[in-house]
Amino acid sequence: MSGKVTVRVTHRFAARPERVFDAWLDPKTAAKWLFATATGTITRCEIDPRVGGKFSIVRLEGIDIEHVGEYLEIDRPRRLVFTFGVPKFSPEMTRVIVEIVASGEGCELTLTNEGVPADYGERNREGWTMILGNLEKSIA
Amino acid sequence: MLNHMVQRSQKSLDGVFRALSDSTRRAMLRRLSTRERTIGELAEPFRMSFAAASKHVRVLERAGLLRRRVEGRSHVCRIVPGPLAAANVWLAYYEKFWRGQLHALEAVLESEDEDRRRKGVR
Repeated sequence: MSGKVTVRVTHRFAARPERVFDAWLDPKTAAKWLFATATGTITRCEIDPRVGGKFSIVRLEGIDIEHVGEYLEIDRPRRLVFTFGVPKFSPEMTRVIVEIVASGEGCELTLTNEGVPADYGERNREGWTMILGNLEKSIA
Repeated sequence: MLNHMVQRSQKSLDGVFRALSDSTRRAMLRRLSTRERTIGELAEPFRMSFAAASKHVRVLERAGLLRRRVEGRSHVCRIVPGPLAAANVWLAYYEKFWRGQLHALEAVLESEDEDRRRKGVR
């Protein structure tokens, strides 16, 4: 058995819940930010926004990095649940839960990423080291 | 050499998270953060047997979170904070990833607003 951890972050948006929710499922909007980094280019953003539908978002970052998953729950604009993985770096799929609550003119979004494996072995290490390095650059 | 260290620390992180997945063990660590305690003392608030408590202690020990020494008939435990810090750093990376994603989403929505405003003015 490997250790699994849960990561949770919250963010307030000035925009209404519907707009924030749709940004996850509209391919044109999602391509601008979802799994994007300052150093990579999104070369594919395919989204099939229905329960059981899949997404594939590819970022060219020296190599093609594909982010895949399947939608498990779509309850606009409150709740979106999907599986998420990066097959190139880990065979394990995690689960992402996006919850949006209206607040004043805007909303508050809570993202929970469950089942994040804590035991990256040799095979995954380099990929994550690279992703995390890029993240550092794009977020810092 | 550095790679080897990274690999080793990631393997041990797995053990750290596994050890921390249990609320009893987390409570034990919290109690150890104030001072050293014997296994008997650690068992006390949980009304658990000495055997059950030492099982938990063994898991924490294997994860590198706890060290024990034998004093007469009792085993005295103390916390080793290093691996906890490593686990925090690892989680912080993930948090930062998602935080970055949500910031990027916000920026996209704001630039859409701006476009709309500009078009409205014209």
